Amino acid sequence: MGSLFRSEEMTLCQLFLQSEAAYACVSELGELGLVQFRDLNPDVNAFQRKFVNEVRRCDEMERKLRYLEKEIRRDDIPMLEIPGECPEAPQPREMIDLEATFEKLENELREVNQNAEALKRNYLELTELKHILRKTQVFFDEHEGGANPTDSMTRALISDDPNKQIGQVQLGFVAGVILRERIPAFERMLWRACRGNVFLRQAEIDTPLEDPASSDEVYKSVFIIFFQGDQLKTRVKKICEGFRATLYPCPEAPADRREMAMGVMTRIEDLNTVLGQTQDHRHRVLVAAAKNIKNWFVKVRKIKAIYHTLNLFNLDVTQKCLIAECWVPALDMETIQLALRKGTERSGSSVPPILNRMETLEDPPTYNRTNKFTSAFQNLIYAYGTATYREVNPAPYTIITFPFLFAVMFGDLGHGALMAAFGFWMCYKEKPLQAKKIDSEIWNIFFGGRYIILLMGLFSMYTGLIYNDIFSKSLNIFGSSWRSNYNASDLRDHKLLQLNPDSDDYTQTPYPFGIDPVWQLAEANKIIFMNAYKMKISIIIGVFHMLFGVCMSLWNHLYFKRRISIYMEFIPQILFLTLLFFYMVLLMFIKWTSYGPNPGNFGSQESEYVKRSAFCAPSILITFINMMLFKTDENTRPQCDVTMYAGQLFLQKLFVICALLCVPVMLFGKPYYIMKEQKQRAAAGHQSIEGAAENGTAGGAPVPASAHHDEEISEVFIHQAIHTIEYVLGSVSHTASYLRLWALSLAHAQLAEVAWNMLLRKGLMVAGYQGGIFLYVVFAGWAAISVSILVLMEGLSAFLHTLRLHWVEFQSKFYAGEGYLFQPFSFEVILDSAGTSEE
Amino acid sequence: MKGSIFNIDAGYLEGLCRGFKCGILKQSDYLNLVQCETLEDLKLHLQGTDYGTFLANEPSPLAVSTIDDKLREKLVIEFQHIRNHSVEPMSTFLDFITYSYMIDNIILLITGTLHQRPISELIPKCHPLGSFEQMEAIHVAATPAELYNAVLVDTPLAPFFVDCISEQDLDEMNIEIIRNTLYKAYLEAFYDFCKNSIGGTTADVMCEILAFEADRRAIIITINSFGTELSKDDRAKLYPRCGKLNPDGLAALARADDYEQVKAVAEYYAEYSALFEGAGSNVGDKTLEDKFFEHEVSLNVMAFLQQFHFGVFYSYLKLKEQECRNIVWISECVAQKHRAKIDNYIPIF
Repeated sequence: MGSLFRSEEMTLCQLFLQSEAAYACVSELGELGLVQFRDLNPDVNAFQRKFVNEVRRCDEMERKLRYLEKEIRRDDIPMLEIPGECPEAPQPREMIDLEATFEKLENELREVNQNAEALKRNYLELTELKHILRKTQVFFDEHEGGANPTDSMTRALISDDPNKQIGQVQLGFVAGVILRERIPAFERMLWRACRGNVFLRQAEIDTPLEDPASSDEVYKSVFIIFFQGDQLKTRVKKICEGFRATLYPCPEAPADRREMAMGVMTRIEDLNTVLGQTQDHRHRVLVAAAKNIKNWFVKVRKIKAIYHTLNLFNLDVTQKCLIAECWVPALDMETIQLALRKGTERSGSSVPPILNRMETLEDPPTYNRTNKFTSAFQNLIYAYGTATYREVNPAPYTIITFPFLFAVMFGDLGHGALMAAFGFWMCYKEKPLQAKKIDSEIWNIFFGGRYIILLMGLFSMYTGLIYNDIFSKSLNIFGSSWRSNYNASDLRDHKLLQLNPDSDDYTQTPYPFGIDPVWQLAEANKIIFMNAYKMKISIIIGVFHMLFGVCMSLWNHLYFKRRISIYMEFIPQILFLTLLFFYMVLLMFIKWTSYGPNPGNFGSQESEYVKRSAFCAPSILITFINMMLFKTDENTRPQCDVTMYAGQLFLQKLFVICALLCVPVMLFGKPYYIMKEQKQRAAAGHQSIEGAAENGTAGGAPVPASAHHDEEISEVFIHQAIHTIEYVLGSVSHTASYLRLWALSLAHAQLAEVAWNMLLRKGLMVAGYQGGIFLYVVFAGWAAISVSILVLMEGLSAFLHTLRLHWVEFQSKFYAGEGYLFQPFSFEVILDSAGTSEE
Repeated sequence: MKGSIFNIDAGYLEGLCRGFKCGILKQSDYLNLVQCETLEDLKLHLQGTDYGTFLANEPSPLAVSTIDDKLREKLVIEFQHIRNHSVEPMSTFLDFITYSYMIDNIILLITGTLHQRPISELIPKCHPLGSFEQMEAIHVAATPAELYNAVLVDTPLAPFFVDCISEQDLDEMNIEIIRNTLYKAYLEAFYDFCKNSIGGTTADVMCEILAFEADRRAIIITINSFGTELSKDDRAKLYPRCGKLNPDGLAALARADDYEQVKAVAEYYAEYSALFEGAGSNVGDKTLEDKFFEHEVSLNVMAFLQQFHFGVFYSYLKLKEQECRNIVWISECVAQKHRAKIDNYIPIF
């Protein structure tokens, strides 16, 4: 297979399908999801393609299904998930049945809805009338004050002119219901239009009423308007109409009103039963539909996808067969043949489909087979850029290097364990969690990277053990190799005391695993010690990581048979990196091994001991800078050697000169070679043309090829210059960039320490039972900060830095990322995307 | 200076508007639309454009009116979105745009009630951008004074209406006069607002467009008034006085007696004479109205050439309206199988 290390080998195939069998075959291929079809009629309009009618029918069916779904959702009926397997794409003839079913359902539902709406409207009117009768009762009661109704209504007018006693002027009134928010404008309008000659009373209906058209809950108010005369009446009515107020007849006499109210109540009750029955019917229809709706959606979407794909095909001259072009993974030819045969059998066609390999100059798509474990890592790589076809795929190495580099920054046993536990839980509960289909984007990011999280957690636990760091405290598993030989008074009087590795303070056997826990107690130089250690570790890891990246480019050059690139790019590159930066790493190891304490010779002034003691250990950084600048420092410490080993100065000069010589090779080697080759080829091309002309055959092929190259020669130079500069400067800056491993690790450790000292330690220091209560509160704060800041935020930042180290520092050494992704025609993908876009 | 602080309040909205503008159909889209055999084809093609699935939930035999409604709905939603996110002075500017729709709605309702149409039938025909609270109660009014006192006094149109109160009653002629007086007042106010309250690039762009709008109205009013009982004095009162024709051209227009004389007036103005040149009443010729539309489109497209001004919002709305008219025109032609005049749309880009 080897598919993990490189993308899959692809072939362009031509597919001849008999018209009748095409549908079934494409359906089988869709189930398989291994074929990417190319559009063979890009110039044809969407609506002029062959199967556009079928696509349109599918659209129509989908619309009906959406309508059904909307209604189902409105009633909160649960939609059954598809039991077991996805239904296969139905036969074309089944489409008519489906259409008929949907049509029937839709019509039935629309009818029921219409009825229900009419009933609801009726019901609304009656309820409004009920409210009017009830509320207006209050108005009338207030006004009457116990007197004769007609009397009271006229009293105000009469009182203007009490002596005359004209015939009673009848006041008219209308009562109705209006949306509550329209009341102010309504009132103002009435006042203006009627010049203040009307009297409006209103009362709010407390319970919201259902609007039958949209079935929203709306608040309304009851109003009653008193006026005098017919002209005002028409005017008031017009205004009411304009504000969409509904008017209801309201009898004047209290007895009539009571009677009417009784009538309304009985009618409401009758209506309630009818309404209930309608709802039941609607519910039954919807429940029946809900059982199948997901199934139907899948079927319709599959049909639609098939016809969309068929629209990409060419029709041959005889109209008997369809011609398709597709990219296919070379290894899967057999499976595809099998699927095609199955499709032919299903359609009952006698002519087998023909799958032809085609020669092409086009770049094939990039396809990496992944499983649920590798896909997350592959996606990290793809997020930077899709690999060029058949290029070395960094994903398999990333599986280990990614969590490892992360862990170097995140090293803490406790936080790592939390993260690992979370990752493990997600992996363990994978199936149920997947089935839940949670929509939250953030959750999906975490869940998609569950294996990365698990590995990051586990690796962090490992580095945490190495750093001997658990929530900023240490574990003393094996017993420290250091002991204090100071007596009690010394310990009491001095704030700082030194332990000496030359003396009995140190057992001379190092702590078996990781950092000695005694460093936790070293308040004065813990940070200095850890920094020196972590900084060096970062550079060592970084240089190895980059060297590995450069080696990857060798595999690319070998695979693509770019011999010139090996000599002119790979070799100088690796020399440059090795001679300068790998040498620096070697210096670190030399320093570690050759300088140190001399057990049993504490305070000895003998020169062989002094020269090997920590006092004489040189600074690597200064040494390296001096090496680059070809200079030697004054020896400020006469008892020490200037160099770390014999011949160092000569060797260093040699290394630097060699490394610098690599630069022009990188810069000019390849373009020069290409130029020379072109000249040769041009000369050869002339000859061949002449020869071809003599023979009378067309010999055009080599000429355009070389012409094509000629115009690019300046570009080759520029390109190469950019690459070289990027590489040379990059080596320096990338090496420095790996120091972020140290920086983040330091920051993490310090933050954890602050959290411990500022919070939990305070809680642990209170004595008595109050201490318990206090600790209870403080622990909550500490835990919250630990999880939210130290695990989540620090984790995120370490993740991003790791990502950068991979994308920029590692992949820039070999990864072109200029390919395009293989997007096979697959029902699974189509159904998934349809499902998500819908929500 | 204004440009540098423009983005604080309106940068997002301008970006949004320019994004919307990119969704306007191109000439190639129209060429495809024109080839459609049925409305279903049209729907399918529109699905491939910025309109997306705006017709996806419509049941199958599509009517042109449905397409029209949906197009308008989409435009209104976009405009409302921008309006809801805007602050002063842009919100006032956008409100000014909606006033013209209010005027149209009022006139529509009054004419409707004059012809005894029930108000419920008229309301759906009103443009949603121009709807206001008291709109539906408009038929209470029998005279312009009543209309003003009862209905319009609370609306932003009130200051424009003051000139119309003197009219006696509401008949066809008076309604036309009211409409044009309203428009005149509206255009002049909008022009003044752009020029004096906002200024800067907005004024440069908008005054150009509004001046053209004013002149167009003046010319159309003059042409339409031939053969009616409208006196020349009354006619002159209806001309918006913020265009390039003001004052000499308008004075000349006020004296005009027939189409030729109007044309002669336009001769003095380079851009308008070109429009009159190209227009004709023969078959195959473009009408003067279409010529005006074309010029309007080109002015509106030009508004997008400058940055940091409010004119883009106005122009976008107008261009989109033109696009709706185009699509509806093509749909009509397709639906009625009357393809001879299908090319009479006005391409935008």
